[in-house]
Amino acid sequence: MHPSPLTRFLLLGLLTAGPALAGNLPKPDADNGGLTLPAGFRALVVADKLKPLRNLVVADNGDLYIKTRQAGIIALRDTDGDGRADQTEEFGEGGGTGIAIHNGWLYHSTDSAIYRYKLTPGQLVPAGPAERIVRDLPNKRQHSAKVFAFGADGQLYVEVGSPSNALGQPDRAKGAVGQDPTEFLKTHGGYWRFDPDKPDQTQADGHHVSTGHRHSTTIALNPVSKKLFIAIHGRDQLNTVAPQFYSEEDNAENPAEVLHVLEEGADFGWPTTYWDPRAKQRKLNPEYGGDGKKLAPAGKFPDPLVAFPAHWSPMQLAFYSGTQFPEKYRGGAFLAFQGSWNRAPKPQRGYNVTFIPFNKSGFPVGTFEVFADGFSGAKDLASPGDAKHRPNGVAVGPDGSLYVSDATAGRVWRIIYTGENR
Amino acid sequence: MRALLLVLATLSLVACHRREPEPAPTSAEKSATTPPSAPAPVAATAETPPPPASGGATVASADGEQLFQQNCATCHMADGSGVPFLQPSIRGSAWISNENPQLLLSLILRGSAVLGEAAQAYENDMAPFDHLSDVEIAALATRVRERFGQPPPSKPVTPDEVAIARSRPGLP
Repeated sequence: MHPSPLTRFLLLGLLTAGPALAGNLPKPDADNGGLTLPAGFRALVVADKLKPLRNLVVADNGDLYIKTRQAGIIALRDTDGDGRADQTEEFGEGGGTGIAIHNGWLYHSTDSAIYRYKLTPGQLVPAGPAERIVRDLPNKRQHSAKVFAFGADGQLYVEVGSPSNALGQPDRAKGAVGQDPTEFLKTHGGYWRFDPDKPDQTQADGHHVSTGHRHSTTIALNPVSKKLFIAIHGRDQLNTVAPQFYSEEDNAENPAEVLHVLEEGADFGWPTTYWDPRAKQRKLNPEYGGDGKKLAPAGKFPDPLVAFPAHWSPMQLAFYSGTQFPEKYRGGAFLAFQGSWNRAPKPQRGYNVTFIPFNKSGFPVGTFEVFADGFSGAKDLASPGDAKHRPNGVAVGPDGSLYVSDATAGRVWRIIYTGENR
Repeated sequence: MRALLLVLATLSLVACHRREPEPAPTSAEKSATTPPSAPAPVAATAETPPPPASGGATVASADGEQLFQQNCATCHMADGSGVPFLQPSIRGSAWISNENPQLLLSLILRGSAVLGEAAQAYENDMAPFDHLSDVEIAALATRVRERFGQPPPSKPVTPDEVAIARSRPGLP
């Protein structure tokens, strides 16, 4: 007989010491900060009404560092242990998306560069100036977020997006004709590897690791397989470009947002192809001769490891390294979806945090489930501007709590497992 | 020219903020400054567009609504509210509210390329819609002015005005 999650949790509490104990968890909010969660989970609002937020990271002492989309980095500290931030600081400037802590440095990205600050133990705000590690990355506004992660080799992997929908001429227009992507992809739509300690590298100094993606705002290192996993945003507007082949429904459900493993030399098939999640097949984009049925050449591009519904917009990914949550979640990943805009006139979807199970080898099993929902405040959203919140960042704290940041109204949630039945 | 564009962009913002009869804040206002509030009653607007504001239900304005839904609503949303950071709200836009339609027509025909630096406030580019006919663009522009002008310009846009915009490069 297997013990119930609650029993297992209580046993765990008896066997281990530390901040993960239920007794040490903060008191959740009565309304869970507006979220709906699986049984036994609760949530509280750590901070609210900050600026539009992007990715976040939690330091070993529980301090939070959160990128703002258009301003500095917000640092939050809970000084009295009630789970709510008592100290809020902002430093730096330039907006951006990516943030991580590595070897005592706080790394972050603007839309054109990677910087780092030396962290001083115990101090919330870095004392010194930022050091620029990579400069002058391509930034043409569209798909300009530069997420990054550190590989098992300790090297810095940086994304450069494609400022384009499907490299059509004119892009996004009815009848758009696909351009030869060869030159474009030499500096866009891939991951590049850099030395994390060498200042002022340029894109040309980096090693070109992978190619053929539109935009990826997700990269994270799995601690078991030691592989980097990335999620890619699928293209928009199939029915705008080729209304003769795609209905509103076809566009709303195509193409999939996809999860891949980042391998040296990988080509993820953009701009010529996309993944149809209903047919479970890779198809040709209409800019490159596709008609909604024609398949991509077999064997040239990897199948996704997980396919998510179209247009959900995958943002930050975090592997669950803690033990506070039940065993089911340990070793798996949480992925925040900021929600769709290109499903109109169908209701918008996404606006949630999903859980992605990984197997004992550190690879995804291929499924996902919605973990935290209710961010948008509406069941059927017509327009993303009407969403109360849009989840963007997700990170695991030292006690195994899951933190989520909001791209719209600047809320930060902490999700905890209490095991209580409600 | 750049100065003119910046002025126009500013006017557009002012126009947005001055909007009074509009019940819902624009997405930009919401995401930038205001705390979350109850969802605005825009879904009903999106699903059942109001009848044409003036001139009765002419054929041109009926086509205009369909053309708006087919060509514009994908990015600007059926209620014109846009998408935060990606595509602007068009509610109360100075370009749409201007009695002279030539700026709006140039934008429709050539996309956001005509905006220069002013387009950089949003991440996505607008494609040109010059594949539509003069009659279609006239109906579309008329409908967009009726729904989103603040206040709506009084005159319908004519195919001749579209032909003039099409015949000259760039902005008027």
